[in-house]
Amino acid sequence: MTPIISARGLTKRYGRTVAVDRIDLEIPPGRIVGLIGPNGAGKTSALKAILGLATFDGQLSVMGKDPSRDRAALMEDVCFIADVAVLPRWIRVWQLIDVTEKIHRGFSRETCMEYLAQTKITMDHKVKQLSKGMVAQLHLALVMAIDVKLLVLDEPTLGLDILYRKQFYTSLLNDYFDEQRTILITTHQVEEVEHILTDLIFIQDGKIALNTSMEDVESRYTELMVRPENVEQARNLKPLYERELFGRHIFLYDSVGREQLKTLGELHTPSVADLFVATMKGGKS
Amino acid sequence: MNRLIALIRREFWENKGAFRTTPLVIGGLCITFLLMSIFTTAHFDNELYTFKEAVRLLASQTAEFRADHGHEVILGSSVFFTGVLAFVVFFYLLGALYDDRKDRSILFWKSLPASDTLTIASKLLSAMVLAPLIFWAIFILTQILMAGIASLMVLSVGENPWTLFLSVINPLKPWGILLVSYLAASIWFLPMYSWLLLVSSFAPRIPLLFAVLPPVVFAILQVWIAFLKTFTFNASLFGLIGEWVANSPAIFSVGVNDGEAMLTLGVPMTGVFDHAPTVANILDRLFSTQMLAGLIVSAVFLAGALWMRHRATDS
Repeated sequence: MTPIISARGLTKRYGRTVAVDRIDLEIPPGRIVGLIGPNGAGKTSALKAILGLATFDGQLSVMGKDPSRDRAALMEDVCFIADVAVLPRWIRVWQLIDVTEKIHRGFSRETCMEYLAQTKITMDHKVKQLSKGMVAQLHLALVMAIDVKLLVLDEPTLGLDILYRKQFYTSLLNDYFDEQRTILITTHQVEEVEHILTDLIFIQDGKIALNTSMEDVESRYTELMVRPENVEQARNLKPLYERELFGRHIFLYDSVGREQLKTLGELHTPSVADLFVATMKGGKS
Repeated sequence: MNRLIALIRREFWENKGAFRTTPLVIGGLCITFLLMSIFTTAHFDNELYTFKEAVRLLASQTAEFRADHGHEVILGSSVFFTGVLAFVVFFYLLGALYDDRKDRSILFWKSLPASDTLTIASKLLSAMVLAPLIFWAIFILTQILMAGIASLMVLSVGENPWTLFLSVINPLKPWGILLVSYLAASIWFLPMYSWLLLVSSFAPRIPLLFAVLPPVVFAILQVWIAFLKTFTFNASLFGLIGEWVANSPAIFSVGVNDGEAMLTLGVPMTGVFDHAPTVANILDRLFSTQMLAGLIVSAVFLAGALWMRHRATDS
């Protein structure tokens, strides 16, 4: 299967700062990929290159197109929500739908209206009259009504309350996602997306620190809450990361047999957040 | 094509205040002033004696005289509309590629499959065609209303407005010339429009400053260097722009010809073009070497604007 996104040596420099440092990446269709990294790690720079919003060095192909040259053509098959509140504030809802319908061939007014019917948004509202949550609902309704192969979400729920965030991801997963589509998400709120992700990419200092599928996370990584008498023994097995919680030591292992670990304490599958912290700290040392 | 129309409609929605409300307000002001002057006259002269005399005097003139002067009056009353239109277009273009960068909605617009070329084309066409057309249509509407009011006044003093002016003056000709002159001026001023778009595409803030400061500094340097060399104040960018405005095919000033005042294209202070407001003179400007040079300059500015727009994001 041809990958949706394929990058070789993708690099983005701002003057002397290297935001994205020779990244190699391949994202096949039908995945929900979380691009996760600390602030300033290069997530947004990478996304901007993918969306044709910035120039870059290296090779990058998104659905067979060079985003820096063919942004308009690419946008036939790609949609993105770059953070909440980028909808023009002066526009009315009906105008927004109208202009999207005229410009986007894959837009279905019917689908959009179905999504909007579930909200309090009316056609005559101006965007600036809507709350932040409603703007996000509107943007999502608009985007989900467009039939594209790749959806890119850059911090789509920043500043929204928990109810909206839950609802946002639920509609995304239930109403939108299928095997033909690929979704690429960056977010700080890892806990909220980890259950919907199929793949995980950690990015740190412009480099990929981890690129794995969620199934692999389960089989590869183990978290051990070790019994006090076994701490030294557990440490000798070279954990990726060690932390203390209520006086108990918790170790995170990469590719260490579960049978062996089971004798030392309680086993868990680590959360993406814990894995993230472990990878970031591990990468630093 | 549909996409271009959709984008132009978007420009109209965003700039309804400037493109539609502004000319409506001017039209409303014209009508208000007309009514105010009627009431003022009636207040001091309740027999409308002066007005009757004026109508009688007008009626005693030949039909040809009334037709010629009616023509002048129609074109002359457009000058205010034209001036405001120029302001509206200036500030529209200055914000055209700036506002959506400032409020970050550029990220939404760039998520649509419309190319940067199409976006810039939609903004340029809105300034060159959409705004002048709306101003022109509202100008005509205002004139029809004013002619109606004037007819009622003439009727009220017992004269016949039909034979006095309605049947004598053919408004289609001045209205046509005005439309041609608006569209020709849009082409004539393309170098300035392109400059404004270019500034709008890169100015990090206060585009007005970026639009005005470089030409001013450049012109001052030119004048200064020329002064050092020749001890005279020779042609500079100021002079060039001034001449450009003076040669424009827009009707906005009055010249004196054989002791008689008449409306002119641009300002009749250069001998390069004939300034009489005719279609032939308008076309003369469009097919001149000046225009050709202007179009080349426009192409450079527009290419710059496109390049900047291609790279522009929210930051």
